[in-house]
Amino acid sequence: MNVIDVHGLRKEFKSYSSRKGLGGAFRDLLTRNYTVLRAVDDIDLQVKQGEMVAYIGENGAGKSTTIKMLTGILTPTAGEVQVNGMDPHRQREAFVRTIGVVFGQRSQLWWDIAVQESFRLLKKVYRLSDEHYDTHMKQVIETLEIEPLLDKPVRKLSLGQRMRCELAAALIHNPPLLFLDEPTIGLDVLVKMKIREFLKEINRKYKTTILLTTHDLSDIEALCDRVVLLDEGRIIYDGGLEALQNNWVEGKQVEFEFQKPVAKEELEQITAEFPVKWRAAEKLRGWKATVEGDDDTVSKVMSVVMSHHSISDVKLNQVSTEEIIRNIYEEGMHRHG
Amino acid sequence: MFYVSIFFQYASQYMKTRLTYRSDLVVELFSDILFQAVNLIFILVVFGHTTLLSGWSREEIIFIYGFFLVPYAIFSSFFNIWDFNERYIVKGEMDRVLTRPIHSLFQIIIERMELESMFGVITGVAIMFYAGSQLGLTVSWYDPFMFILMVAGGALIYAGIFIILASISFWSDSRTDIMPMMYNIGNYGRYPVDIYNQVIRYVLTWILPFAFVGVYPAAFFLGRDEWYFYAFLTPVMGLVFITIAVFAWNEGVKRYRGAGN
Amino acid sequence: MYLEMLRIRFLMMLAYRTNYYSGILIYSINIGAYYFLWQAIYGGQESIQGLSVVQMTTYVAIAWMARAFYFNNIDREIAQEIQEGKVAVEMIRPYNYLGMKTMQGLGEGLFRLLFFSAPGMVIVWLAFPISFSAEVSVWGFFFISLIFSFIVNTQINLLTGILTFFLLYNTGLIRAKRVVIDLFSGLLLPISFYPLWAQDIMAFLPFQAISYIPSMIFTEGFTGGEVYSALFQQAVWCLILIVPIQILWVTARRRLIVQGG
Repeated sequence: MNVIDVHGLRKEFKSYSSRKGLGGAFRDLLTRNYTVLRAVDDIDLQVKQGEMVAYIGENGAGKSTTIKMLTGILTPTAGEVQVNGMDPHRQREAFVRTIGVVFGQRSQLWWDIAVQESFRLLKKVYRLSDEHYDTHMKQVIETLEIEPLLDKPVRKLSLGQRMRCELAAALIHNPPLLFLDEPTIGLDVLVKMKIREFLKEINRKYKTTILLTTHDLSDIEALCDRVVLLDEGRIIYDGGLEALQNNWVEGKQVEFEFQKPVAKEELEQITAEFPVKWRAAEKLRGWKATVEGDDDTVSKVMSVVMSHHSISDVKLNQVSTEEIIRNIYEEGMHRHG
Repeated sequence: MFYVSIFFQYASQYMKTRLTYRSDLVVELFSDILFQAVNLIFILVVFGHTTLLSGWSREEIIFIYGFFLVPYAIFSSFFNIWDFNERYIVKGEMDRVLTRPIHSLFQIIIERMELESMFGVITGVAIMFYAGSQLGLTVSWYDPFMFILMVAGGALIYAGIFIILASISFWSDSRTDIMPMMYNIGNYGRYPVDIYNQVIRYVLTWILPFAFVGVYPAAFFLGRDEWYFYAFLTPVMGLVFITIAVFAWNEGVKRYRGAGN
Repeated sequence: MYLEMLRIRFLMMLAYRTNYYSGILIYSINIGAYYFLWQAIYGGQESIQGLSVVQMTTYVAIAWMARAFYFNNIDREIAQEIQEGKVAVEMIRPYNYLGMKTMQGLGEGLFRLLFFSAPGMVIVWLAFPISFSAEVSVWGFFFISLIFSFIVNTQINLLTGILTFFLLYNTGLIRAKRVVIDLFSGLLLPISFYPLWAQDIMAFLPFQAISYIPSMIFTEGFTGGEVYSALFQQAVWCLILIVPIQILWVTARRRLIVQGG
């Protein structure tokens, strides 16, 4: 059975545009212009129990809006949504008892009171028995190593500490489905790793389904076997991470550092017969060439470039996921289809 | 039952937090008393220059004010939603509220309660007893029950009006300064409505029925039987307004747009 | 730079149109209710404390309209920004934080003056008997006095806001301040209505510079030399209040630097 089952999901927002200047503002008092913006555009999505799915896209691609519809916060404009066998918005109060939600940029905990007290309130809110709370929460607290933080008020915690407490709070009722919106934003590497380990563990132990949005692609590499890629409110890729890497960009990336400044056109001209894309690298006089093709092609490209320009350094990289995603956004689906 | 126990959980938590910032609590209690005193001073100063307000004496007006304080105290303890738009819509706190398995309005009520405002009940009752004894009023066996009924009606009317105003935020993206101003209008129900002209009297009776949180129910205890019809209408109006308010709220939540859009 | 702040705030206010319409309506209801209240208070009397009914109505109307100009919420905004730790960021920006807040308040005030008070005044003038002075000098003095009242009120707001640095939570104080201003500034009652001993105390407080003085000038309750001495009194308060603001601000900054926000 699908934990998340979504067909033709759509969300439109009316947004008012204000006219320019003082006169315009005055005219706005009488009539206003508005445009309809389609934030989520006919999405179909099925997620099975125990899957860990990364839901990614640029800012404004519609990630948050989708998550908010799946969690019952927003009402869809059109489409069918079944999550945990329920309609999230219509059966909201029963439904939210079966999910956990973490918004990275927004606290779920009470600011002024000790973490422990927050947990105790949540325990009441979710109507949990003492036994459940004692056994389940004890484990969560141990794995997340938040025992020493329990009697501190939330406002005194660091971001990393708070985030671990947020996670614990979201899991207090051991929900079969967990939504994470940017769970690792702003965290340092160690905390990130700790959180990832924890997520893997609950996924293994309870078969918890996890849907997460993130800007940090290393999150995805560490956690998710499935990636859903969103662009302008539409799903443009849905599949494995490896398949994404293999299908979208074959080949390698070569990073040259030239001794003298070189123009992009020049490089494109001399490598015109090869499937190469050039991009400026971070380094001064540095250029990156993404070569689609086998090793043979790669070495040919290298020798052509080096015979025309003198270089000071050259590096051969595997194409990173980040690079792939960036490519996809820049070129769109049509090229790689 | 569940909601009652949740309420007490939150209330005890609230007390704990409140007691950590004791100095602010003291200032707040003080400002409440000051606020109550201001209106009393207004009445006293005004009656320094006149003896009757279209047939109502100073003590009667003070009595009405005392009654008003009681439902108002209950309202301000639990319905602190005048900054709902800013706090919950603009800042997106509503997202969090909607991911919890309790009715959203109830959550906001218990999150935002300010129990120290209940102090106004004491002030109000004290003022009523003072004015009542000056007027030679007697207490019958049914008066306490009527009092509870009237107070409940009044508090529900207040709550209803402010919930409806808060619900507007779901439809319109505008900031509403209406709420603070509405507090002023609430004050006019404390004066005998016969001093106003038809339009304002109509507004205070049927549209923003603040007269039911002051002069109408108080008229019952003052034995002004020409107003009994309106006095008995108080609980009914309370129920009507809270029903409309909850309905408006539920409809509004469906239209919630989320923060940051 | 500051002008730009002013303009932006102005446009922001204009963008909220629900606010705009309801604001005018509510101000009119407010003034209307007070008009009838004062009618009832006057009963048959020709004048109280040297003010006729018409002057009194004008006083109420202009006091509320002037309030639209000088009133702002910058105390609450400052308090919020301090609690959220945003002030530390604001401090490193290349402008004076307090100056910027004042400009925001002025933008809001000007907006309300032009789009609220002016049309609101016309409505009120159509509905109730109000006397406008024919003398240009009265209008001139009134506007000068209005500017002073904005400055004094804003200074008091800044003071209350900055105090958050030292209190952490100060909703109580902000509320108390608002109540005190409503009562002692002459918004609800002209100062001359109070018993003499109270007037003597209030003479030593800055509050009547906010509402009483401009309203009295407008209603020609002050004439001749009284006008000048009243304006002088306002100016003096503007200067005096700079002192505590500067002291508190400098202390607050020092604390902020030491504690790192």
